[in-house]
Amino acid sequence: MTFLQDPEFGDRVITLMAALVLVLQIAAVGQRWLVSSIRIFAVQSFLLAAIAGIIAYFNHASHIYIAALLTLILKAGLLPWFLERLVRRIEIRREIEPLINAPLSILIAGCLTLVGYVVAQSFYHPEETSVRAALGHNTLAVAIALFLIGFFTMLNRRKALTQVLGLLSLENGLFLAAISLTYGMPLVVELGIFFDVLVAVMVLGILVFRIREAFDSMDVSKLRKLRE
Amino acid sequence: MILLWLLIVPLAAGPLAFFLRRRQLMEVVNLFAFAVLLCLAAALGVRVLRSGPVSVWDGFFYADALSALVVLLSAFVALVCSIYAVGYFRHDERSGVFQEGEDLGGGRAINKLREYYALTPLFVFSMILVALANNLGILWVAIEGTTLASVFLVMFYGRETSLEAAWKYAIIGGVGLSMALFGTILTYYSAHQALGTDTLAGLNWSALVGNASQFDKPTMRLAFILILLGYGTKAGIAPMHTWKPDAYSEAPIPGAAMLAAGVLNCALYGLVRFYILSSKCLGPELASHLLILFGLLSMGVAVPFILVQKNFRRMLAYSSIDHSGIMVLALGFGGPLGVLGMLLHMTFHSITKPLLFFCAGNVQQQLKTDLFREAKGGLIHSMPLSGGAFLMATLAVTGAPPFSLFLSEFTILRAGFSRGYLVLPVLFVTFLVAIFSGFLIHIANLVLGPDPGIPAAETCRWKKSSVVGSALVIIVMGFWIPAPLFRLIQGAVDIVVSGR
Repeated sequence: MTFLQDPEFGDRVITLMAALVLVLQIAAVGQRWLVSSIRIFAVQSFLLAAIAGIIAYFNHASHIYIAALLTLILKAGLLPWFLERLVRRIEIRREIEPLINAPLSILIAGCLTLVGYVVAQSFYHPEETSVRAALGHNTLAVAIALFLIGFFTMLNRRKALTQVLGLLSLENGLFLAAISLTYGMPLVVELGIFFDVLVAVMVLGILVFRIREAFDSMDVSKLRKLRE
Repeated sequence: MILLWLLIVPLAAGPLAFFLRRRQLMEVVNLFAFAVLLCLAAALGVRVLRSGPVSVWDGFFYADALSALVVLLSAFVALVCSIYAVGYFRHDERSGVFQEGEDLGGGRAINKLREYYALTPLFVFSMILVALANNLGILWVAIEGTTLASVFLVMFYGRETSLEAAWKYAIIGGVGLSMALFGTILTYYSAHQALGTDTLAGLNWSALVGNASQFDKPTMRLAFILILLGYGTKAGIAPMHTWKPDAYSEAPIPGAAMLAAGVLNCALYGLVRFYILSSKCLGPELASHLLILFGLLSMGVAVPFILVQKNFRRMLAYSSIDHSGIMVLALGFGGPLGVLGMLLHMTFHSITKPLLFFCAGNVQQQLKTDLFREAKGGLIHSMPLSGGAFLMATLAVTGAPPFSLFLSEFTILRAGFSRGYLVLPVLFVTFLVAIFSGFLIHIANLVLGPDPGIPAAETCRWKKSSVVGSALVIIVMGFWIPAPLFRLIQGAVDIVVSGR
């Protein structure tokens, strides 16, 4: 089993998985069923946890295992479960027509991926040829693309819940950036961030529920009373 | 040890209020906790002045003059707001505002009060944690914590409009803070090669600041821009300010005052810490230019909205956008004078803003409207105290002499000229004058004029004493700044200018 010690093999696996994460994100852009969007997010988070685990293995950085485990429990398990329950309780299954239609959205997502690569290029120092420095470079591009696409989803979608999903995939991008650039923030910080994400989703969930009760819809474009 | 007590007191007061059943007890717990907090904050200030930075747990919590100043201001705002809150919520309870919601059960009022008295200490806890955290990641967590605690304050009344405001606040705040988190990660990355540590200390401000000149420059540049956008959203500088008028006009008055005078400082505090790192790493030019741009933009955006404003609570929000613009601009001018102007402005703004909110709250509770059109003017006859104080607070907050904000705005103006700028200070003064006139016309119309025949009100001792108390502080500070406070501000200026 020598290939399990070979960092280049680790690099390839990570790049492959990061690519999968990106493909899933682009699929989510075209998706209109809420439950499928939530499941895509869950699979994405699972892949992220796996990437974190592999980076921890090849760099012998044991504290990333904890981050990976937390991602697995919270983002791939608890949050999707909570959001799906929310969807069942408010009985809304489909996103109304987004502002920009699906094919064009996917095209825009593709362009944002390119932007991600251009930005990531500026962090790439070819003079540092050590494998450790190169290991996360592709992943960073994917992370920036995830961040931008999440941002775009939030602008494009009008349901409160899909905006929350956009915010979550933006956070996934950040997590990927954090582990690929620096092999994880210090553990205490990561714990704090996870806690905050969890609470934020709960808060947003409560809000979604209340918006649904008050307006009989989760369409945030109906929130238009407060104007100058 | 004092740092831990500063955190434990509010953290304990929140859950304690949650288990209490009587209104009086909750009020007592809240007031007592914040009074103790203010004493502790003052003690921290004295200690920092005497013997330099304080830290516990291997530097996990750390307080220098800058943190001590922010802690002191947060504690002051928390105390005056909680004094006012007692009168404000008693009035709400009597007038049956809580019963307007979905169910008419008698337990609803006490539940709402419990919500407020349990959440506010947690909100204050996060504000104190912002200032005391040494680790820039924890700083981010704490700022996010202030958002999460205050979302519930914004949707406190459960009206459709409050939900809308809370949603906007949570989503815009969430996106802004995720940018700030990205900035924090990039800062860690750019420092990580210079410091070579993978441990917790790798994000500690006290460790970073000494080595900032060796950071990776392109990364730090991107990091600062993201931080400026992120914490700028939280401070409400334009064009990320859109959540502010909604949140300030929907939250209950004490909560809104804490958002305007407390959270604003915390967000700017975060920005200042990264400003120090980035100007040591990249030189001050990039940061200065961006800060000046966003500062002037915020002031400029506030002008038309204040001139044509129909709603006096939204007007306060635009005033707060204007003030965060002023502070960011002052930081952009930089140098000892600019930073002094900024920190003086932060101090004076924090003591002045709550009074303005209290008066607006009194007027709104009395007239049951927050529109100028429906208020009809002549408030000085029915509410002599709140009306008079409203006018005075307006003069104070728009920087009319002899009030203290004049002093800080003048310092900022001098800083602008001394840096060799000519057009920018002139623009600064133009915006100030426009805002001054717009604000004064609106409030004068509201307060002065013939008696519309509303029965005289203002019987609540709590509301009166908080208005009189903060008015006295404002008047005294106009003529005399306590020497230790000024030394603390100067210590903070040294930290920002020289990084020590």
